[in-house]
Amino acid sequence: MSTNRIISSLRAEFGEAVRGSSSPAAGRLLVDLDRSRLREAARFLINRGGRYQVGVGADERDRTQTFGLIHFFAFDRERFSIGLRTAAPASDPTFDSITPDIPSAGWTEREFRDLLGMRFPGHPKPKKLITADDWPDGIYPLRKDVPYNLVPPSTADVAYQLDEAPPGTTIVPVGPFHATLHEPAHFAVYVDGETIKHCDYRGFMAHRGIEKLCQTQVSYNEVPFIAERICGICGSVHSVAYCQAVEMAAGLSISRRAEFIRVVCLELERLHSHLLLIGVAGHLIGFDTVFMHAWRIREQVMWLSEKMTGNRKTYGMVVIGGVRRDITPEMKDEIFAVLKNLEAEIASFHKAVAGDSSIHGRTKGVGKVPTEEVVLWSLLGPVARGRGVDIDARRDFPYAAYDEIAFDVPVTTDGDVWGTIVVRLLELFESIKIIRQALDKMPSGPVLTEYGEALPAFRTGWSIVEAPRGESFHYVLTGEENRPERWRVRAPTYTNLQGIPRMLRDNQFADFPIILGSIDPCFSCTDRVAVVDRRSGRKRVWTKSEMDRLSRSRS
Amino acid sequence: MPGILAKAAAKAFPKSLWLYHCNSGACNGCDIEILNVLTPYYDVERFGLKLVGSPRHADVMLLSGAVTRPTLPLVKRAYEAMPAPKLVFGIGSCAAGGGCWFDTYNVAGGGATAVPVDYLIPGCPPRPEAIIYGVALALGLVPQKAAPVELKQVEFPIDAYLRNKAWEERNVIYKLIKD
Repeated sequence: MSTNRIISSLRAEFGEAVRGSSSPAAGRLLVDLDRSRLREAARFLINRGGRYQVGVGADERDRTQTFGLIHFFAFDRERFSIGLRTAAPASDPTFDSITPDIPSAGWTEREFRDLLGMRFPGHPKPKKLITADDWPDGIYPLRKDVPYNLVPPSTADVAYQLDEAPPGTTIVPVGPFHATLHEPAHFAVYVDGETIKHCDYRGFMAHRGIEKLCQTQVSYNEVPFIAERICGICGSVHSVAYCQAVEMAAGLSISRRAEFIRVVCLELERLHSHLLLIGVAGHLIGFDTVFMHAWRIREQVMWLSEKMTGNRKTYGMVVIGGVRRDITPEMKDEIFAVLKNLEAEIASFHKAVAGDSSIHGRTKGVGKVPTEEVVLWSLLGPVARGRGVDIDARRDFPYAAYDEIAFDVPVTTDGDVWGTIVVRLLELFESIKIIRQALDKMPSGPVLTEYGEALPAFRTGWSIVEAPRGESFHYVLTGEENRPERWRVRAPTYTNLQGIPRMLRDNQFADFPIILGSIDPCFSCTDRVAVVDRRSGRKRVWTKSEMDRLSRSRS
Repeated sequence: MPGILAKAAAKAFPKSLWLYHCNSGACNGCDIEILNVLTPYYDVERFGLKLVGSPRHADVMLLSGAVTRPTLPLVKRAYEAMPAPKLVFGIGSCAAGGGCWFDTYNVAGGGATAVPVDYLIPGCPPRPEAIIYGVALALGLVPQKAAPVELKQVEFPIDAYLRNKAWEERNVIYKLIKD
């Protein structure tokens, strides 16, 4: 289905409710829709093979006296992304909830309920998500009349508003200082004996208000440096995604060489991120040899990144208009040398992990989700590819220089945690292949195209970048004061975490850490706007060490 | 007075130090470098340093990230759970002064907002070598090479009184806008 056909079928179906449409770039479509038909139109797109990406809410009262809401859908096979744009008057910011049809929209709607004060009648779980449970009602931080630094006083003891336990189950609170990665997030796991029946999440504790900060305080080219710090692992992913969105909105084209250098940065990041996760997965099942070896191999990538970008985390490299440092011929030789060594080490590591029966024992058949439900929950990245869903933004929505590079997208149909590990192991080799091709095909030329004039205001751009964990989505509406009017970040964990209750269902409690670990959760990305509960007095409280011991004793 | 502290630390912690890693809202950058010092290239276990899972077992808290509004009471609680004598290391720029989001609506400030921070290891993120050096310096394992520096960021975070006052003032502004 092409973009033209989807527009005409939307017009045929919804008639007058489709107020207009525009295409800010190739493969991107915005459709203005009357808000009364929003839910039907969303269902219409999902039924035609669309994949829900994310919603973007905005306070537009100063320009149009409305609150705007855009729901984005991707058509991966047809290679385009479509946004359904609606608005509601400032006096009544109410939109029909689309969550009953599309479960992965649940968090988006709860987010804008918290941050913008929108209302979504029909939402199955209208509870707080982003702001803490002691956050006062009536203060919506993303509204323009609320200063970015307004910190409401907090209460000393906060009780989480969690789901009711299903009958016959016991609540096991995990977190907020946590069993899997060292990031704060609270999980209430409802168990029947050792079997997990349900799970509720109370996170967003590393929410640092980055979107508000960048919409009110800094300028366009300072945002990439803050974007990198959304996440300490996929820094370049966020800065590239932001810069591409701005470049698309403003119609800037950058030099081809810069695009290739961005590819090298992104793939180096994928290399070290995948090695990190495979190591952590080993640690979580009590197999620390895997952890030590993976991180030993990974260290070479860190050193290489430091030589190339000046920082171990490929920070400070990407800006609007290109990149800041060139890859010199000497650097190129060095990258090739490191890649050669890395390839040999990863090959022997792959052999050791792939044939290890204790890893098989802990990961095969664990966290199983059938392919149809992966699609229903819009799971992303290796989590989806390990469960038979063939999506990869590098191939489906080619950005930077990926259109010139040949690579495979590994997909397994195991449907369990083991499948996601296999996919990551195979992607390591693909990343090495991509970096080699990028270095070979890189044309000469400048690396930075400076934009002279002010960027045009109120243009829309959104970019999709395949992070190591899945698809990252950045939406930018350019503004008048040399900074984005609206910037929305959706990291892959935001979507994958919503599928965690499904992945956990009917699994053993001791497998909780490895299942959560297998989505490579990054709470800081998710919370951008990021388990201790020793005193909660609930029925049973596990500390991290007990949890670790339990997790390892199964091996 | 790092010299005195180092001497005190050597007396109070003559044996292996057990570290508890507390992320109060960091971006993962510092956390990964902390984990990295355990892996073969840096291997801090040779100094007797060990990462433990529970604050009740720990001598030292490694605090990473700005303290966000929801984690503030939790960090305090984790600190209270540690047996005395105890030390706190603030790892990275965010733990030092709150980083680039020190004053946003969901951030309370740097590590010192929640707990008394004894040593700061700056960097965004600090290199693994810097973390090892910082801990070794505190333990008196290496001589101090730099003169004490007065950090600007020490003026932050604001104490509770100023914070409440600032909150009241902001609220007045907010009310005015609302009316």
